[in-house]
Amino acid sequence: MGTENCKDCETTAEAAQRLERIYAYLDGVLSRNDISEVQSHLDACPECASDYDLECVIRSAVRRSCAEQAPEALKLTIIERISQIKIEARH
Amino acid sequence: MGAFAVVLLIMTTAVLDRPTRYPGVGVDSDVMSVDLNEETEAARRTRFERDAMQYVDQLYSAAMRMTRNPQDAEDLVQEAYTKAYSAFHQYKPGTNLKAWLYRILTNTYINIYRKRQRQPQQANTDTVEDWQMAQAAEHTSSGLRSAEAEALDHLPDNDVKQALQQIPEEFRLAVYFSDVEGFAYKEIAEILNIPIGTVMSRLHRGRKLLRGLLSDYARERGFNRGEGSQG
Repeated sequence: MGTENCKDCETTAEAAQRLERIYAYLDGVLSRNDISEVQSHLDACPECASDYDLECVIRSAVRRSCAEQAPEALKLTIIERISQIKIEARH
Repeated sequence: MGAFAVVLLIMTTAVLDRPTRYPGVGVDSDVMSVDLNEETEAARRTRFERDAMQYVDQLYSAAMRMTRNPQDAEDLVQEAYTKAYSAFHQYKPGTNLKAWLYRILTNTYINIYRKRQRQPQQANTDTVEDWQMAQAAEHTSSGLRSAEAEALDHLPDNDVKQALQQIPEEFRLAVYFSDVEGFAYKEIAEILNIPIGTVMSRLHRGRKLLRGLLSDYARERGFNRGEGSQG
């Protein structure tokens, strides 16, 4: 501990709140004012800046890892089942 | 698919007959016939194949995160698409089709798989999670961030998937829907049928847990040991 925390992030609670802001920032739910507030904080606080980096890396790692391809056979089965529904719905 | 598919089919029929909490997911045959007057079956099917089938890979990936194995994931997706097609007349063109499909997928999962698992709802996740949260907080304050980011960036896909799998389901799905699929809080709230505030707290806790677990994996692989990778 005791690295380069800026004044605003001295306590763990404050840092946790900052992390929450970073999540909100990345989620795109902040107002314009809040966005620039977060941005200037990120410029000033190395700890939060690397938290931000880390969160970006995590999200891209999760996205990369979870991109699976459905088996071709599944797509065919779905199409086939759907066509059966059509027949059932007729009467 | 054999017996399993047959069982699923029977269960689905039961599910479809029951009124559901999700608008547009249940099947109401009266409404269906009204809508079928406006669109021929062939046209409807073409529209479904054109608009809905493009999400198969994504729904399958999500189903993998839910069921944890390929066969169940396939069955789940198949089931979800069947229900979606049956209810497609209730889908309002121009609204978010992907979110609509995810809601059906999630609903199908909850109705079929959770019941089959016969587990009590994970009522004790709060307690289970407290020590995990403490651990996650510890990671947060441990410095050496850029090396850690570097390490996480190089984690094998399987480690990442496993870490995700270790998070309690309610957190996992929220994180997945947000960070992988990019759904807005409001959309996640609709998909999971929970208030927005709950979405936000699940996201927050889920992400912290994930962060802690990923750090563990990176550490196990020895990525964080040396002070090496700083650029």
